[in-house]
Amino acid sequence: MALTGIRVVEIAGLAPAPMAGMILSDFGANVIRIDRTKQTETVDRLARGKRSIAVDLKSKEGANVVKRLSSNSDVLIEPYRPGVMERLGLGPDILMKDNPALVYARLSGFGQSGPYKGVAGHDINYLATSGVLSTLGKYKENPIAPINLVADFAGGGTLCSLGVLMALFNRTKTGKGQIVDVSMTEGAAYVASWLWRSQNLQLCWPTKIRGRNLLDTGAPFYNTYETQDGKYMAVGAIEPQFYALLLKGLGLTEENMPGPQIDIRKWPEMQKLFSDVFAKKTQAEWIELFGDSDACVSPILTLEGAATDVHNEARGSFMRNENGSYEPRPAPLLSETPGITEVKSDPNIGEHTEEVLQEFGYSKDEIDHLIKNDVVEKL
Amino acid sequence: MILSGVKVIEFAGLAPGPFAGMVLADYGADVIVIERTQSAMPRPPSLARGKRSIMLNLKDKEGIKVANRLCENADVLIEPFRPGVMEKFGLGPDELLKNNPKLIYARMTGFGQSGSYSKMAGHDINYLGMTGLLSKLGREGGKPTAPLNLMADFAGGGLMCAMGVILALLERTKSGRGQVIDASMVDGASYIGSWIYQTKDAPYLWPIGDELGKNLLDTGSPFYDTYQTKDNKFMAVGAIEPQFYQQLINGLGLTDEDVPGQVDLDKWPETKKIFADVFRSKTQSEWCKVFDGVDACVTPVLTLEGAAQHSHNQTRKTFLTNEDGDAEPRPAPLLLRTPGVNYVKPNPVTGQHTEVVLKEVGYSQSEIDELIKNEVVKSETVKSML
Repeated sequence: MALTGIRVVEIAGLAPAPMAGMILSDFGANVIRIDRTKQTETVDRLARGKRSIAVDLKSKEGANVVKRLSSNSDVLIEPYRPGVMERLGLGPDILMKDNPALVYARLSGFGQSGPYKGVAGHDINYLATSGVLSTLGKYKENPIAPINLVADFAGGGTLCSLGVLMALFNRTKTGKGQIVDVSMTEGAAYVASWLWRSQNLQLCWPTKIRGRNLLDTGAPFYNTYETQDGKYMAVGAIEPQFYALLLKGLGLTEENMPGPQIDIRKWPEMQKLFSDVFAKKTQAEWIELFGDSDACVSPILTLEGAATDVHNEARGSFMRNENGSYEPRPAPLLSETPGITEVKSDPNIGEHTEEVLQEFGYSKDEIDHLIKNDVVEKL
Repeated sequence: MILSGVKVIEFAGLAPGPFAGMVLADYGADVIVIERTQSAMPRPPSLARGKRSIMLNLKDKEGIKVANRLCENADVLIEPFRPGVMEKFGLGPDELLKNNPKLIYARMTGFGQSGSYSKMAGHDINYLGMTGLLSKLGREGGKPTAPLNLMADFAGGGLMCAMGVILALLERTKSGRGQVIDASMVDGASYIGSWIYQTKDAPYLWPIGDELGKNLLDTGSPFYDTYQTKDNKFMAVGAIEPQFYQQLINGLGLTDEDVPGQVDLDKWPETKKIFADVFRSKTQSEWCKVFDGVDACVTPVLTLEGAAQHSHNQTRKTFLTNEDGDAEPRPAPLLLRTPGVNYVKPNPVTGQHTEVVLKEVGYSQSEIDELIKNEVVKSETVKSML
């Protein structure tokens, strides 16, 4: 696989760092998650394929265990507030002096510097600080964060993986690792770069008021509509030729419409008209009616519905895990060295403590000593 | 820079392909955009910083020959067309990889290269609808609301495509070979949202999972949402953990007696109303003073311009200033030893680099003149526009 042979030490965290670890694991890396001792449950729901060792990070001996692991690893991912790793004696200065080839990824909300560094926060706060949150939501409603997708996962975990991969690529030329400072605030902004760069496009941003523009629920032809059976359809008919097909499918003509497609003053009226029409048929009827036409009209599926949809099934977009539930297959698809195609199980905390220590050269006596002194825990 | 020496041929598209190309350019790749001479719309320059532009007539056999020559020595190709279009041009992966086995051929589409929807037109909102994620986004009593085109076009699209390219480049250092990347925005957006699928049955996250906007992180809870201030701005509240929630209550000047318990779900609407009333009593900057440096997870909702001017973002140089004086995000993440660009390179004029790019792959001036004369290529130097 693409990352076979790459060893990753992931210091257990909430969601963003686990996402980064999961992506690397999905593409073949050997990911070891360092869990705290005296815990039975993990919050990591992105743990497939990882191995877990439980270490008392607050003890000097525990820190030494992590040092030994990282000195023989390629990547370390840590999710703490700036300074915490340093206080544990595991800062980049120390670990990279020992292993100059280490890629040391630091995943935080606000970054390793700046007045907000170390302030507690969650996705919604990082998204707010990035400027992006102010653009999301309907007219006259408060801004709405899309759960925790944009800062935690897109600008956080995924961008962290990208940074790690770039650092590994650079290392093939230079032999040297480096620190990757991943700020979810910056990541969210960067992923949304287009928002800043497109502000002067009149077509996309006619009003500068949230919810009154082309792609932010302002336009009737780029919106969602409820069907007769309480489900929804997505409409993305921006281009005139697609818009014409949309009207045709809805049984409307240009003459029926209160105004031409891009008359923004008539958008609210047009939206109501479309709403009324969509409410007259069920989701299944609309799917059948629009077929595979280029009207850019498609169903809004539920999480379960997406996993069993005929298109997604044909693509193997979802894998089934041992509980019978579905989870997305790694993306993108690489033809020669794809990611995993089946779900490996989540580790229990401390399930691989002994195995990992052995792999890193600890003798049985040393391992027994560490366990006896609560430096590490096994399942 | 990380991608110095990496040559990328990007076939011009709308947003996802160009964003992938921009990420690669931002980290040092030489990205050449092939723009079509017979294009219906002029290309909006939104994601073209640092790229070079050549105009080709892909409907002309000679134009295809030029494209072939460009791809012969390229490291990466990004194409945004519906499945089969590149094959019709004679530029499909089978052909190009035969001539150049180290080529990384990235195919950026909404629905992917296979499956019943693969030939259908669509946009971000359609792709996001297919993932299941869109059904979870929106306020109570409303309809599913797509977050602009961030999740499918950019996160699950361009970003995932760029990540796939870097993965393939890394893999190629071992194998010496390229491969085809099928970057589907439906797949990409789903993958980025993996955690949502994994936790959909967790009662603390999705207590009323079937309904929009009634759960922990989807605007259902009073302590994870935005609130309007006295001056019609907003504050973002993300006080999930009990100790942060306590600081939130304190900062609002409330006591435990004033509000229902944090996890009293039935009273969430009531608590929300209480919070909303309090937030409306002060301006955004007054609230910032109250909560600055406090671990309450309460922060201002900044506008696009406001974010660029905020002291934290300024210290971090989160934004660069372009030649028009406007702010745009600096490449993330920060790689300390080999960072991305720290200034905004200009957008190319369409066709600005046609001649220099052709010369780089060995065309003589007279060959170039011939190609221009026969409208196989078009050259638009800055000079010719004066």
